[in-house]
This record gives sequence, C-alpha cells and structure tokens, in this order.
Amino acid sequence: MHPTARLGESLEPVPVTFIHFDELDAIEMPDGFVWRPVRRHFGIRAFGVNAYTAGASGQIVEEHTEQINEHEEIYLVLRGRVRFTVGDDEHELGAGQLVFVRDPALRRSGVALTNDAAVLAVGGKPGEAHEISAWEYTFAAGPHLRAGRYDEARRLLHEGLETRPGSAPLLYDLACVEALAGESDKALELLNEAVSADERFRKYAQTDGDFASIRDDPRFPR
Amino acid sequence: MSDGYTILSLDEVEPASHRGSNLIPVRHTLGFRPAGVNAWIADAGGQLIPPHEEDSGNEELYVVARGRATFTVGGETADAPAGTLVFVPPEVMRTAVAAEDGTIVFVAGGSVGEAFNAGGWDSFAIAWTCLEVGRLDEGRAIMDQLIAEKPDYWATSYNAGCWEALAGNADAAFEHLRRAKGLDAEGEAAPYFREDSDLDSLRDDPRFEELLG
Repeated sequence: MHPTARLGESLEPVPVTFIHFDELDAIEMPDGFVWRPVRRHFGIRAFGVNAYTAGASGQIVEEHTEQINEHEEIYLVLRGRVRFTVGDDEHELGAGQLVFVRDPALRRSGVALTNDAAVLAVGGKPGEAHEISAWEYTFAAGPHLRAGRYDEARRLLHEGLETRPGSAPLLYDLACVEALAGESDKALELLNEAVSADERFRKYAQTDGDFASIRDDPRFPR
Repeated sequence: MSDGYTILSLDEVEPASHRGSNLIPVRHTLGFRPAGVNAWIADAGGQLIPPHEEDSGNEELYVVARGRATFTVGGETADAPAGTLVFVPPEVMRTAVAAEDGTIVFVAGGSVGEAFNAGGWDSFAIAWTCLEVGRLDEGRAIMDQLIAEKPDYWATSYNAGCWEALAGNADAAFEHLRRAKGLDAEGEAAPYFREDSDLDSLRDDPRFEELLG
C-alpha cells in the first residue's frame, strides 16, 4: 500500500491531492499486467477509474468482458503505444487516443508495444449510482494471499464485504484465504455461502487448487 | 468500426468554446453514459479549465494526458506534467493553465450515490460554437436533441431561446422561451428573463412584454 493511499469508503472529506501515475501503488497481477489503483488511492466513489502499466508479459489491459458489472468503459492511452484487441479487431493506439467499449459483452484486452505504456480506464453502469467493484478488493488482496500474508488479505476482503455485503466473488476469495491459512471450518462455511449466492462458484471450486485441504470434507459443495 | 465500440483521438475532435477555454467534447462525441468525461486543450499560457467549483457530492478527477499544466486548486498552485492525476473535492475552486503547447487535460466526474445524469452543458457549448461560426443547422439539431432528452427542464428550453435570439430567429426564440416559462414552476428563470443580454434583440418586441406578464 502506498503511504498516501486512503481507504475508499471513508466519509471524511478527501483533501486535494496531486499524484503522478508512476507514483501510484503498482500491484502486479498473475496475468502480467500492473494495476495502478486510482479510485482507491483518492477514495473516489462516483465512478470507476484505474490506471494500468505493463508487467513482464507486456499485457496492460486484462482480457475480459464487462458482462458481470455491465459497465461501459473508456481506455485512454496516457503514455507509449498499446495494441488493443476488441472483439475480433485490433487497433494500435498512442498517447491521447482512446477506445470506448460500449457493449459490455465485447471481449477486450491490451498489450503494451512500448515499455513505458500506461492506460487510464474509466467506467460504470449507465443509469445507476456507482458501486465499487468487488474485483478491486480481490486485486488488492492478491499479492498478500500469494505471499502468505493471510491477515492482510483477510482485512482487504472483509473491507470489500462491508462495501459489497454478500458478494459471491469476495466470499469465495475469503474462503480461499481461510483454506490456505488452515482455517477449514471457516473456509467451508464461506465457500458454501459463496455457492448459495452464485451457483457458478460451485463449478470453480471443484478445480481450484486453493481448496486442496478441504476438498475431501463432506461439507465441501459438490 | 463496430457498433459496440469507438476509437477516438482527443486531438482530432473539434473543440468547442466554453467560458474562455477549448473543450474537447468527449462525452457528447462518444455518447458515454456512466460519468461525465471530457477534455480540455490549450497552448502554453492558455486557459485549460475555466475557474469553477462543483456542487456538493460532485467528485472530479483531472488527468494531464499530454504536455504540462499549472493547476490552481483552492488557492494552491502546482506544476502538473503529463501523467499527473489531480483529484478535487466538491466546492473547491479549481482552474488550470497550459504550460506547454498542445496540452490536454482529461477529466472524469460524477456525483456520489447518484446515477450520472448529463446536464448537457458540454453539448450546449458545441451548439454555441456552431452559432459563433454560422453552422446554424448543426447547432439547432444539438439544441433540439437536448430538449428532446430533457423536455421538462426549463433551462434547456431557455438556452434554446437565447440561442435562437442570437441567431436572429425571434419566432423560434419566443416559442422556446414560452415553453421555458411554462416549465419553470419555481420562478427560477425570472432574473434571467429580466437581465440576460442574450435576449436584448427581443426586448422591444411586444411578445416579450407578454412573456414577462
């Protein structure tokens, strides 16, 4: 966590802040892109906004759709060059150029063509007040989970659950943390809650290596 | 280009004049709906962001997308090279001036806890610019679209009345202004009708007295 980072959910007024995107937290994700948490840094609640830089693989925007959140998204290149793939089309964009993906079902991704590339993403669901996306907490907790810092991963996921109570992905992620931390009872309880909230997690759990320690328990969802 | 997405170069969008600055009307051009997104462009020494405050609950993030800007926020001045992010809470005065030619500042904004609802000021800036350069059909089409989107909002019809008055179309101006007056249940428009110089060309017309009456 960057020393000036603030929790996103504080109701206290946030002072005026300047920061260069190179100074933001740099959280490298397993897919190789580096998440620069802008919304979370400033405590912005009105819309979704994040920056990305490239990791070792060159990936800068994760391959994904927005079907779950139904967000419209803008990806603005702030520096360098990026090759975006949107649906079946490819576009090379430089600084000051953007791609606006209106259709949440369109698969999109970006690969940096220069080492210095940076992308700003702005998005939200049209017609609805912005809700902080659950994935932000998953992304923030990820490095702690991978490094075995279970308390910190727990803290971030609980923070997410306070903002998004009952969120199936966050319950599932917390179940992973507890399973890895050896807290089998907690892990099974959370995993069953996640499956109750969203049936898709039953299938994911069957092959998730994080659950190796609890898979033979009769309480494990089949 | 697919229906599902759009590619845009900020410096290829025609800027619109707005309060002494050059607006790159990103939201209007793209039809982006979740937040207010726009950009501003200026050469060295030129005003990028008109001095203003945002209402309570409005959050704004400015991003220097190219060049270099000097921001003044709440009385403090800071140098902001490309890549700088500036978060300004509501009710704090903010402005920015370009420190290099071709500087672009991108901005995203919205209200906490509310769905984004475009007020249309950015579209209106385009219509206003069309009026200044004589592209009346284009400007009128934007004005008509704004009224169609917000048929119950008096200020949109009032602004359309001002626009037609300045374009020299008194008949169309009175039509918009009558509608504006009818929609203005709270009487908020009264001081504008009395004092707005945009309506000066109409003041000697007997229909103006009728309107005020």
